[in-house]
Amino acid sequence: MGMINTNELKNGIKLIFNNEPYVALNVDFVKPGKGAAFYKIKVQNLLTGNVLDKTLRSGEKTESADVVDTDMEYLYYDGNDFVFMDTTSYEQVSITEKSVGNSKEFLLENMQCQVTLWNGQAIAVKLPNNVVMEVTYTEPAIKGDTQSRVMKDATLQTEAVVQVPTFIETGEKVIIDTRTREYLGRTKD
Amino acid sequence: MTADWQPSASLATLQARERLMRATRAFFHARGVLEVDVPLVQSGANCDRGVVPMALDERYLITSPEHPLKRLLAAGYGDVWASCPCFRSGEQGQRHAPEFRMLEWYRCGFTLTQLITETVELLATLTELAADTECYSYRDAFRHHLDLDPMTASENELLAALDSNEREAVTNRLDCLDLLLSEHMQPHFAPDRWTVISDWPADQAAQARLLTDPADGAALAARFEVYRGRLELANGYHECCDADELSARLHAEGKAPERSSELRPDAHLAAAMRHGLPDCCGVALGFDRAVLLATGVSSLAETMAFDWNRA
Repeated sequence: MGMINTNELKNGIKLIFNNEPYVALNVDFVKPGKGAAFYKIKVQNLLTGNVLDKTLRSGEKTESADVVDTDMEYLYYDGNDFVFMDTTSYEQVSITEKSVGNSKEFLLENMQCQVTLWNGQAIAVKLPNNVVMEVTYTEPAIKGDTQSRVMKDATLQTEAVVQVPTFIETGEKVIIDTRTREYLGRTKD
Repeated sequence: MTADWQPSASLATLQARERLMRATRAFFHARGVLEVDVPLVQSGANCDRGVVPMALDERYLITSPEHPLKRLLAAGYGDVWASCPCFRSGEQGQRHAPEFRMLEWYRCGFTLTQLITETVELLATLTELAADTECYSYRDAFRHHLDLDPMTASENELLAALDSNEREAVTNRLDCLDLLLSEHMQPHFAPDRWTVISDWPADQAAQARLLTDPADGAALAARFEVYRGRLELANGYHECCDADELSARLHAEGKAPERSSELRPDAHLAAAMRHGLPDCCGVALGFDRAVLLATGVSSLAETMAFDWNRA
């Protein structure tokens, strides 16, 4: 993709450093009244999550990354890759297990996700913040305890293990925050 | 985030801003300094290192009112000050704005020490902060904060004091000194008093007269900056009165290799200098930054009714 001038830098802009894509988390313009101007930026690697400090001289050109977020629906696992469908073009895309990363823990068929494409290649899958999952196994509930703050392990239909209150039974549906793995409630849906 | 048609400053901040401007007028009126209006568009450019003027119809928007004020001084009008919008291309950030307001004034027969005192008095009046001040020479500030002598350190020693990611961005010695000052020293300036840095290296003289360091004869400039914590507020000079020397500096700066286009120096200033500038000291103060300090808002945009992105 193209080169951009430092004056186009802002939070959220996608850039290339050392051939890898980064997102700018913080952009600071630094300049003595009569002196050289610099941009001090904090950038996060979109592949590894590592955060770096960078300094660019004002007026310098820097490479922008062709990174776009696309709405996609998860269809199925074909034994090697996770197959998604672009909900606008209906085109199917295979995404490697590595790119899906931790998202696979809560990934269910027909789930609407946001897929990050870099130069057309999927590099990350972002799940909805909250998902509904069936509990496939948990220790039997303690009778009469519906208020308990004590938590126990529960295995979900994706085989992810999360913490739920002790009153939850096998077969119930629970709402999980995919960012924190937190139990948010149960549902009959 | 508020919608783009809405102001970037709160009503309370604009009321404080108006109070500060009234206090400024009272301050100079009481001291017999004449307020003047100056043209915002001039035929020749301000040529300062690191400052890029905006062009308009083959003319330049002012980056400070320095030239017209000096022409008034050369014409014998005595002590003058101006408050006006100034324009500097590309300067946008939390503490920078491409369009901002400058207060600038000149005092005939003042020593630089007298002008430093007056600058701190104005800042203390505007911000209602005490006038407690810590003064360092540029060299002593580097020695104190970084254990480096900026006049004699090798480029490698300067580079070693920078962070590794900063080393990739610097192209010369002055870049190193600028980053060391703004990123490695200013953040450590006392938050509860004014810091004054004086006696700058001669290659950062701008329009200040030159001096020599009595200790070793190093070439210095009669220039000072005032900071509050890390915030740079004012920049002043004992003015260079030598027309030829100043003209040579401004021509060289107008052609500096880092400029994308050459600047046409201001012929009116050059003629006024040849006529003769009286012995004087002058200082420029960022009014919006004074408002930021007085009100405690976190960005320059919040001191302006409509900042650059809403203009």
